[in-house]
Amino acid sequence: MRKILLSLLVVALSLPMMAGPRQKKADKDTEQFRYEIECAGNASQGNYLVKVWSYSRTASIAENQCRKNAVHGVIFKGYGGGQGCVAQRPLASNPGAETQNEDYFKSFFATGGEFQKYASIVEGTTEVMKVGKEYKVGNVVNVRKDDLRKALEAAGIIRGLSSGF
Amino acid sequence: MKKYLLTIVLMCAALAASAQIKKPELMVIPSDVWCISNGYYTEIDNLGATTKVPNYKQALQENMGLKLAIAKINDLMAERQFPLQSLEQTIKNLEQRRMEDNLTTSKAGNELAESPLDEVARTAKCDIILELSWDVKKVGPKNSLSYILEARDAYTSKSIGAASGTGAPSISADVDVLLEEAIVSNMDNFNNRLMDHFTEMQTIGREISLDIKVFANNPAGIDLETEFGDDELIDIINNWLQVNTIQGRFSMPYASENVANFTQVRIPVYDERGRAIDANGFAKQLSKYLRKEPYNIPTKVLVKGLGRAVIILGEK
Repeated sequence: MRKILLSLLVVALSLPMMAGPRQKKADKDTEQFRYEIECAGNASQGNYLVKVWSYSRTASIAENQCRKNAVHGVIFKGYGGGQGCVAQRPLASNPGAETQNEDYFKSFFATGGEFQKYASIVEGTTEVMKVGKEYKVGNVVNVRKDDLRKALEAAGIIRGLSSGF
Repeated sequence: MKKYLLTIVLMCAALAASAQIKKPELMVIPSDVWCISNGYYTEIDNLGATTKVPNYKQALQENMGLKLAIAKINDLMAERQFPLQSLEQTIKNLEQRRMEDNLTTSKAGNELAESPLDEVARTAKCDIILELSWDVKKVGPKNSLSYILEARDAYTSKSIGAASGTGAPSISADVDVLLEEAIVSNMDNFNNRLMDHFTEMQTIGREISLDIKVFANNPAGIDLETEFGDDELIDIINNWLQVNTIQGRFSMPYASENVANFTQVRIPVYDERGRAIDANGFAKQLSKYLRKEPYNIPTKVLVKGLGRAVIILGEK
C-alpha cells in the first residue's frame, strides 16, 4: 500500500516538472512557425476561416499550436485562394514587421499570450497524420481578423486605412 | 512678452503637427456596363449619335441588390474609418438644391445668378470612384456570381486598384447572399490596393492633372507662345513645374498656343508652411507666380476637386 502511495506521489510530483520541458518543446517547435496555412471557406464578416497544418513530435502539442500558427499566418503570411475561396494578403504588408517589433510579438505569441483572443478551433475538424518521426496536425481555425487588425493598428504595428489623413 | 512669443510658437507647432493630408471622398456607383445591361439607362442624342447614359436614380429606385451592395461596402469602409459618400443622398441633395434655387427670388422678383459652370460644378463629384458590377451565371441548378469592384481616380481616370473574382457555385444561396459573400471576401484585398495608393500618395505626393487655357482675345494679348526674354510662356510654366513638383515628375501630353495639358503631376501633400495642399492650392501657387513681376499675367483658377485644376490666362 505504501509503495503504491509512494509511486502515486512520485508521479504527481513529476507531472508539473514534465510539463515545463513539454511546453518548452512546444515553444521551440512553434518558435520557427513551421506550418502551412490555406483557406478553409468563406467566413462571416470580420473573420477568416483557415486550415492550419502544424508539425510536432507530439500530436497534442501540434494541435495546441494551431491557433498560434493561424494568427501568425494571418498577420505575416496570408494565404492562397481557389475553389471559391479568395486569396488574402497578410495584415502586415511590411515584410520586416516581425523582426522590427520582436518584443511585441514575443509577448503576443507567448504561451497564454494575446493571440488567444483572436483564434478559435472549429470543433471536429482535427486531422492527424504521421509524417516520418513527427505528426502533422490540421485544424480549421476561425481568426477574428478585424479585431486582430484593430489591435495591431492600435499598437502601431500596421497602418490603418485612414492613417495620415 | 516672452510668454506671448512662446504661446505663438507653441500654437504654430501644434498647427503644423496637426496638419493632415486632405482626405479623399469616395463614392460607390454602379458601372456603366452593369447599368446598361440591366436596363438602367437613358438614351441621349449626341450630335446625331445615340449614346446610352447610366440612370443612377432609376437603378437605386428599382434594384434592391444594388442598394444592398452599396450599404454593405459602406458598412465595411466605415469600419475602417473611411465612410463613403452616398450616391443616393447626393442625387437627392442635388434635386433638393435645384428645387430650392428655382423657388428662390428676391423681393424685386430676380432669380439667383448662376453661371452654366456653377451648375456643372454642382453635379455629384468625389475624388475616388468605386465602380461596382456583378453578374450571375447559371450552370445547371447552380448559381455563381462574378464580381468586380474597381477604384478610379476621378481626375486622372487612373485605375487605383480592383478586386474581382467568381464565387463558389451554390444551389441554395440566392443572388443577394452571393453578392454579400463576394463583397465581404473581396473587401480586404480591395482595401489593400487602396492602402497602397494612399501610401504612395503620402510618399511621392498626390497625382493631379493641370490644364492651362487661354481666354480668346484677352486684353493682355497673352498666349502660351508669348515670349518673356528668351523663353516662351509654356517654357516658363514647364520650368516652374520642374522645380515645384516632387522629383520634377510630370508630363505634358499636349500643348498648343492656347492649351497645355499636364498629367501625372506629382505635387507635395504639404506646402512650405506645413499646410495640406491639393490641386487647387498648387494651381494657386503657379497662378501667383504668373501674376507677379516680370510676367504680370491676369489668371483665373477653377476649382475642380482635390486632383484637378484649371488655370485660365489672360483675364480674371
